Amino acid sequence: MSSTKRYWMDAADLRQDPEAIKARANEFPQDLAIDQVLGDARFQGASTGRRDFLKFLGFSLGAASLAACETPVIKSIPYVNKPEDITPGVANWYASTFYDGQDFASILVKTREGRPIHIKGNPRFGINRNPGLDKGVVNARINSSVLSLYDGERLKGPRQRVEGKLQGTTWADADKAIDAGLTAASAAGKRIVVLTNTIISPSTKAAVAALKAKHATVEHVQYDTISYSGVTNANLKSFGKRVFPSYDFTKADVVVSVDADFLSSWGSTTEYAWQYASRRNPDGAMNRHWQVEARMSITGANADVRIPVKVSELPLAVVALHDAIAGKAGAATVGGGLQIDELKHAADALWAARGKALVVCGSNDEGVQVLVNGINNLLGSYGSTIDLDNHTWFFQGDDAAVAQLVKDMNAGTVGAVLMAGVNPAYSLPNAAEFKAALEKVALTVSFSRYADETASLCGWILPDNHYLESWNDFMPKVGQYALAQPAIARLFDTRSWPGNLVRWSGSPAKWNDFIRQTWQANLAVHGAGMDFTAVWHQSLHDGVLSSPALPATPVAFMGDIAAAGAAAKQAASGAGQWELSLYTTEAIGDGQHANNPWLQEMPDPLAKVTWDNYVCMSFADVRNLGLPDYLGEQSPAGVVSVKLGAAEVKLPVVPSPGQKPGTIAIALGYGRGANGEKVGKAAVTTDHEGVLSPVGRNAYPFTSLRNGTVSYDAVSVEVSATGETYPIAITQTHLTHMDRHSIVKETSLAVYKAGDKDAFNHAHTLAVHEDVNGDGTIDARDRKPVAEFDLWDEHPVEGVGHRWGLSIDLNSCIGCGACITACNSENNIPVVGKDEVRRSREMHWLRLDRYYSSDTKWAEGREAGESKISLYTRMEEPSERPSVFFMPVMCQHCNHAPCETVCPVAATTHSNEGLNQMAYNRCIGTRYCANNCPYKVRRFNWFNYVTEQFAEVNPAWDDLGRMVLNPDVTVRARGVIEKCSLCVQSIQAGKLKAKKEGRPVKDGDIETACSAACGTGAIVFGDLNDKRSMVRGKADSDRSYHMLEEVGVKPNVNYLVKVRNSEEAAHHA
Amino acid sequence: MHSEAAIREPLILGHKTYADITNDIVGPIENKAPRGWYVLMTLASLVAAYGTGCILYLISKGIGVWGLNKTVDWAWDITNFVWWVGIGHAGTLISAVLLLFRQKWRMAINRSAEAMTIFAVIMAATFPGIHMGRIWMSYWVLPLPNQFGSLWVNFNSPLLWDVFAISTYFSVSLVFWYIGLIPDFATIRDKVSKPMMKKVYGILSFGWTGNAKAWTRFEEVSLVLAGIATPLVFSVHSVVSFDFATSVIPGWHTTIFPPYFVSGAVFSGFAMVQTLLLIMRKVMHLEAYITKKHIEYMNIVIIVTGSIVGVAYITELFISWYSGVEYESYAFINRATGPYWWSYWAMMSCNVISPQLFWFKKLRTNLAFTFFMSIIVNIGMWFERFVIIVTSLHRDYMPSAWTMFHPTWVDVGVFLGTIGIFSTLYLLFARYFPVLALNEVKSILKVSGESYKQQAAQHHHH
Repeated sequence: MSSTKRYWMDAADLRQDPEAIKARANEFPQDLAIDQVLGDARFQGASTGRRDFLKFLGFSLGAASLAACETPVIKSIPYVNKPEDITPGVANWYASTFYDGQDFASILVKTREGRPIHIKGNPRFGINRNPGLDKGVVNARINSSVLSLYDGERLKGPRQRVEGKLQGTTWADADKAIDAGLTAASAAGKRIVVLTNTIISPSTKAAVAALKAKHATVEHVQYDTISYSGVTNANLKSFGKRVFPSYDFTKADVVVSVDADFLSSWGSTTEYAWQYASRRNPDGAMNRHWQVEARMSITGANADVRIPVKVSELPLAVVALHDAIAGKAGAATVGGGLQIDELKHAADALWAARGKALVVCGSNDEGVQVLVNGINNLLGSYGSTIDLDNHTWFFQGDDAAVAQLVKDMNAGTVGAVLMAGVNPAYSLPNAAEFKAALEKVALTVSFSRYADETASLCGWILPDNHYLESWNDFMPKVGQYALAQPAIARLFDTRSWPGNLVRWSGSPAKWNDFIRQTWQANLAVHGAGMDFTAVWHQSLHDGVLSSPALPATPVAFMGDIAAAGAAAKQAASGAGQWELSLYTTEAIGDGQHANNPWLQEMPDPLAKVTWDNYVCMSFADVRNLGLPDYLGEQSPAGVVSVKLGAAEVKLPVVPSPGQKPGTIAIALGYGRGANGEKVGKAAVTTDHEGVLSPVGRNAYPFTSLRNGTVSYDAVSVEVSATGETYPIAITQTHLTHMDRHSIVKETSLAVYKAGDKDAFNHAHTLAVHEDVNGDGTIDARDRKPVAEFDLWDEHPVEGVGHRWGLSIDLNSCIGCGACITACNSENNIPVVGKDEVRRSREMHWLRLDRYYSSDTKWAEGREAGESKISLYTRMEEPSERPSVFFMPVMCQHCNHAPCETVCPVAATTHSNEGLNQMAYNRCIGTRYCANNCPYKVRRFNWFNYVTEQFAEVNPAWDDLGRMVLNPDVTVRARGVIEKCSLCVQSIQAGKLKAKKEGRPVKDGDIETACSAACGTGAIVFGDLNDKRSMVRGKADSDRSYHMLEEVGVKPNVNYLVKVRNSEEAAHHA
Repeated sequence: MHSEAAIREPLILGHKTYADITNDIVGPIENKAPRGWYVLMTLASLVAAYGTGCILYLISKGIGVWGLNKTVDWAWDITNFVWWVGIGHAGTLISAVLLLFRQKWRMAINRSAEAMTIFAVIMAATFPGIHMGRIWMSYWVLPLPNQFGSLWVNFNSPLLWDVFAISTYFSVSLVFWYIGLIPDFATIRDKVSKPMMKKVYGILSFGWTGNAKAWTRFEEVSLVLAGIATPLVFSVHSVVSFDFATSVIPGWHTTIFPPYFVSGAVFSGFAMVQTLLLIMRKVMHLEAYITKKHIEYMNIVIIVTGSIVGVAYITELFISWYSGVEYESYAFINRATGPYWWSYWAMMSCNVISPQLFWFKKLRTNLAFTFFMSIIVNIGMWFERFVIIVTSLHRDYMPSAWTMFHPTWVDVGVFLGTIGIFSTLYLLFARYFPVLALNEVKSILKVSGESYKQQAAQHHHH
């Protein structure tokens, strides 16, 4: 045998079978049918053409590459049994209610495939409904609240503090421990305090009562982060009712507001906004509005006459108003009021309009508010513009009770504190004292959704549901009820906090059953004989149940004017060089929404600053302190130190036109999570130096308890420049409108009423070489309107099919900015963070332009012979007492769009319905369109904003935050241009719905996000080709104009000239 | 043979023979490069590498690494683009237009000017590419058949015209340049002894034999190409100016732009030729071929075009006032007195005021001064484009959108990088290609050479 190993393939090989070896040469032993197939007559003449070959090649290449890729396997579970109400791709809307202690609104929640993604006002029901337009008013905080549902920093289950550290626990353990704790406290006779914001929920009150039934020492203390104790206490003293009344601005011909920012931050703003706007129509009975204030507020920006005074002068302004009116009414005066002529004119106007007048005041000083009540009483406002019978249930908080509680906690008489909806360790004037006191309480429970400033100090955090996951009920006003229903199952292991109280009271009822029971019990009292199930279902459907308003009863004013006057003057005394006014911004409010990136990136309607709070200071003061008066990308703000007693903050200074010199203003609600508390995703970000720091600084330490109420101003603070600078992210670096009358058109009511359109809405004309005026010669007087000139062929949109457009009434726009956040939510606008905003790269499709007037007027200056250069320079300087002009600007959907002609790849085109469309997939990002847009509305994706780089701010980055995205709208990638699409997805949906129902689209069927969010009716969407549509009516009105008409781009968006009621006001002067 | 008046200054100085010319031009290619070349090459390629790095960073991160914003969507990118395209004008103008006008003095400078053109156009073409948000889709600007039905490029867009204009210009310039190089490559092929070089230059010279027929055809082709290239000199920058002129932005929307841009381009192109030639003349000892006369001629072109540009600036100002258009008027007042006033006055002083010094013969024949001025003009012309683009955009119609543009280190890096790449290419050209059209220069030796002229003059006297 050979030593080499042999291997054989098979038995035949081993045997060396010659047959098999022969056969092996022929792999396919049988004759294949190839010849037959190829010889088939049908294939004769067929050949693999070049195209086929390329197809095969392409297919093989594609198949090979696909096979090479590892496809991510995403497991999704389809509906085995499709829920009856959910159709993939079709939105469900649920009526619900938003209430957070500062804002109340009946809302509709849009859900897609079970996810809430958008919020708008309930157009049919609720106190925030504008009945004239069938729209529900919401503000930016309300419609942005959907995002906070998906905040990854929400607590995902109950937490217990063990040895100073928070750790997870179970609900069962928590229930047991707390029940024991409560029993121990009540057994020891110690107080069990439920510390909450104002509770307007009947069921929650019932739950507290149920707990009290079990533990006799239970006590409910309410505390409003922004206190109205001064108002409610004054009402108690004046009328015997400690309530916040209902105001009716629709009935007020004359409104005088002393530091009450009632369109943005004072009182029930979602009501006042539509009421006020309904009286700003120059074709109707336009009201006249005086605003006396120290800082420029949104309300002040809307006023016909704005009187800037120092903080210390505000009480004296009230005294002056009171005395002027008391003088007319023959009532007792106080004396020592502020002597300003304009205040006298305001008083004259109020007196002339008595019975239809309203004075509101933002002060939280009881004495001042008694005086205001006295004024309103003399004016006969009660029963007309102020309703004490159908009062609100808002702002029940009592500063004195909270102050007492802190003392009691320190004294050790409090055995347990259960906190919901409040953050005292952050927002109390004596927060440090509170923190110390909390240590002395045996059982401390927070129902916060975050381990925030207060919750992180508590023994237990039992996270509440987000309101979109909860059942709840509300009683905003006498006779008005509202329901909140869950729009999604609980995302985390959380509980509705009042449900805990029900459970701890020993009741077996679940929270939603408890609400039903409460309602059933109430109905048995108030609506005897009604079928509860039917009422309940209807209320759930509508979100609201209301009973007719109670008739007005006569009021007897019993306030002590002399004492109130003395108190007011005392509040005004001791003024130093610098005075401080604390306020809340439109976006952040009292601070509980500071973790919402949409709100942080929403520019302040006036200062246009994002992602910071700052010191508002007059230009004169800024220059006196030697601080920068221009802020921009590379022009940081100067930093000052503000000191009041032990409280000190360092904040950047933003020069603010309209700010009274000598008074500075700082926004509350910032500086959340300053000690590293996890208060939510966007509240803490990396600053310009790469350090993780809170957004802004906390100004609550500047509040103080004065005469039993929290005071939000200080008449003497120290302000000093630190020499430091701080970068500010500002979206509008230029302040004035440079007298550009084809952008900003504004007139007075008198001019408007005179009816000469040319005087207030001058049309642009161009001289032509034909005898237009028929005078026999061709000269410069032969002119034609710009609209008649065409460089290009007209798009056939006029009169053919639909032509979508917007009409924006600058008189109805109060500048709240709810449209901006609504647009963010509907269109998946990326949040880009402070650094990108600082580089003027915010992505908002809709911006709110704010212009201040200048004292320098072009026409006057030219007449006086001043040079253009000097005029232009001086026109950049805003007036010390500017009038303010708000203007929402989005893509104008030009019929002769300059962007469309310049795109080399035709990525932006015109639809036959008048829309300027953007095909993201086609865009290669030359940005030529953005350059050539006269309105500068196009936005470029400078980076991939959905990457880790933007993880801190962009909710679309994390898996949870991404749930808020609207599946109907593409998320844009890096390198493409985007802009307002006029919510084309809604247009398509509306058209589809009408088509399915076999009818034409009706006016009002389709709303853009901005128009739906605009409860004041400033933004109206519709079909311009529909002659009966509202938008067409507005477009045809005398006030209608196209921005930059002379450029000839023929926009589908028109604006209505702003009319101020200033002429009559001035007439009084 | 063409003869020339004796009083005309000679174009080739000293006593040069045909062999001298060959040796002068081919010598540096054959021999080891001087140390200076290595120094410059190292420097240039380092800058080029840095710039390439910046470009890669830009492409990997996004356009946001530049300083652009919602209002100023173009700044240094398009400024650099127009600047480089402008520079790329001189070569073709010199070789084509001057050929048609039979300007013999062009022969000493046209080769390097054309090379400069080619490299400048390559640099220019970089910017429209990298300034795109999605450069990987850049081929969509080409009218390629596709699977998307009626989807096609937008022929209304001036950017698309740019694509055509630049690519045509580049192709024609390249062909023109290469045709001219063929006989010179053949000369090198015939002269060098290293086999590798012989092989390479043999391939590059396309088998040029140098017979009479080849020369006839060579001259015919040159003439035809000159005819084609001449309108391109005017069309390219006109089309580039349409990017601005057809827009609605005040300061851009100006009918004067095409001639203004073309003269500006020639202006900056000649300045760049001066910069490069003055260095090359010194380093490569070409004083005999690139004479003061050449420099002076080019300086004259600079005065003329610079003055045209100056008139254009003033016309713009006048029209902005005369038109009575509020926005136009503001745009120009803002240019001169607004936040970017310094760039406007840099442009004015560099482009309009300083070239006027060339009216003095002493100055325009002073080489050091010329070199200094050529740099000044190129700075000025960069600012011209910056002024047009940035100052028009940063404050256009909507005061609410007004903002400032601040360049980032990437903006600067990319710009410097293109200068680096350009210099690298130019240095390679100077090292391996005949920097003068040596065969063309030989054709004028007996007519315009100094010694021959003197001989002819003596002969005449006798």
